[in-house]
Amino acid sequence: MKKRKERIDRGIKARSSDIFALLSWREMLYLAAPRLLPVIVCLLLPLLLGPYWQKVLLSVAVVALLAISWDILAQTGMVSLGQALFFGVGAYCSGAMNHYWGLSPVLTIPIASLLGGLICTLILLPVLRLRGIYFSMVTLIIPLILVRIVEATKIFGGTEGLSGMTPLPSTWFELYLSMAVLLAVLFGFRRMMDSDYGLVLKGINDNDRSVINAGINIYWFKAQSLFIAGAIGAFCGAFMTHVYMFVGMPVFALDYSILPIAAAVVGGPGTLAGATLGAFILVPMSEALRGFGGLRIVLYGVFLVVFIVALPEGIFHYIQRKYHQIERWVEVDK
Amino acid sequence: MLEIENLMVFFENALALNGLSLGVRTGEIVGVIGSNSAGKTTLMNTISGLIIDMRIKEKRKGGERITIYGNITYDGEDITETPPSDRVKQGIVLSRERHPVFPESSVVENFKIAGYLRSKSEIQETMDFVFTLFPPLTKLKTRKAGFLSGGEQQMLAIGMALVVRPKLLLLDEPLLGLSPMMQKAVVDAIVSLNRETNITVLLSEQFARPVLPVVDRAYVVENGMLTLSGTGAELMDNPEIKAAYFGV
Repeated sequence: MKKRKERIDRGIKARSSDIFALLSWREMLYLAAPRLLPVIVCLLLPLLLGPYWQKVLLSVAVVALLAISWDILAQTGMVSLGQALFFGVGAYCSGAMNHYWGLSPVLTIPIASLLGGLICTLILLPVLRLRGIYFSMVTLIIPLILVRIVEATKIFGGTEGLSGMTPLPSTWFELYLSMAVLLAVLFGFRRMMDSDYGLVLKGINDNDRSVINAGINIYWFKAQSLFIAGAIGAFCGAFMTHVYMFVGMPVFALDYSILPIAAAVVGGPGTLAGATLGAFILVPMSEALRGFGGLRIVLYGVFLVVFIVALPEGIFHYIQRKYHQIERWVEVDK
Repeated sequence: MLEIENLMVFFENALALNGLSLGVRTGEIVGVIGSNSAGKTTLMNTISGLIIDMRIKEKRKGGERITIYGNITYDGEDITETPPSDRVKQGIVLSRERHPVFPESSVVENFKIAGYLRSKSEIQETMDFVFTLFPPLTKLKTRKAGFLSGGEQQMLAIGMALVVRPKLLLLDEPLLGLSPMMQKAVVDAIVSLNRETNITVLLSEQFARPVLPVVDRAYVVENGMLTLSGTGAELMDNPEIKAAYFGV
């Protein structure tokens, strides 16, 4: 007998997403679990981990935030290869404010986030009209230029960098600040991308000419998306400046550009949650592989390749599909 | 030449083709007439094998989304699971819907890319033939294909399929978006290429009026199922066809 695979939404999914008729605690849990799980994980992890892995958790949060920032840009049709630009600009903003003016981190981190986002938007404003690979190239080059400018002109301490920043009150404060911001950004911007505003951004990625035809100035919206992504990245930089109590040329390192992209691709682009999930998998894995010494990067690379070939849709999309839908073999009737 | 038996195609849970059977004999022009969403394009993609490529890509995106059942026999050989590139080598060439050309390349370059399987002299020969078939293209040899008008692009697209020297030419909505004048020119060209080069043509179209007079036989498809078939003249006189496709 001829059969084919049928794919249908679970009844509980239809009830919870379309008509909101939840009949039992189980169904409420079905709806709430995917939202509660990351919250619980983020709140509990700092308590459960040792001092070394707590530091790893900080870089997980930073990579996750940068990956979300990359994902927002990618969903607006701008594939950035320069998350390091956002990170570095934020880091230098807060570093300079703290070092020269002696402002406290309570002020420098929020100001540097907004100011960094603004500076990045202004820097990239002239290239907003570029599409595809051209935009990517420019974003890749700008952090490299900025490093050399700092080195050559010796501003902000030149190659030495600025050290002696005011530290954050405690490790717990660092951990919970990063987790709180991660959760806020994740849920907030997921909500935003689902709203009508997010629809315009996604439309620009899908078919920018049709969006122009709807009477929307896409460059204004692209600039807004750039500011949002820039501010998220700049927060990461400003935050890490105060964690390390140092800001220097490494803030423009290529790692901050590449790791977030890897996280977003492995986790599943286009959902923000996928980017976060990817960071929570890739960064600890990279740490766990330290035991292999020189082979670490090789193994890491092999894992990435295997993942992209075996599960090109991304982990999050796969989980989401299995969670919401069932597949079964049905007979083809004639 | 081409024999299709009980073809069923599912896109996820939607049934696009439902037990469709049809045959094409060597040297014929056969029309597949149907309104929007009848399944014409799916049929064309299934015969040309593009759907196999689509199935692989959808599978990469997650899960099996496209299911194909039935048999396609070409020259006595079962080609249901043959990849599209091999089908082109066997002589089945599709000119896709909405005349996709390479917009950044010139007209002549487009022909060269399309004729990758053929030798230079063969390409030149067919190109000359195409230029006699579609005289307006002659003046546009060096123009970027993206700057051609819709009708010119359609001529180019049919020409690109011809450069491969098909035995069976599949035309998916060749008249889409063309003025009645243009439609007539394209239909005339299809007839004369069928006469002169003896290429078998299977074309799908929703404009029945210009197509039915010239086809040897035609099938009418609705919702993925065959509803009527017969010679072009028979269908012209059929009252149902008149009501549904001629608007009288």
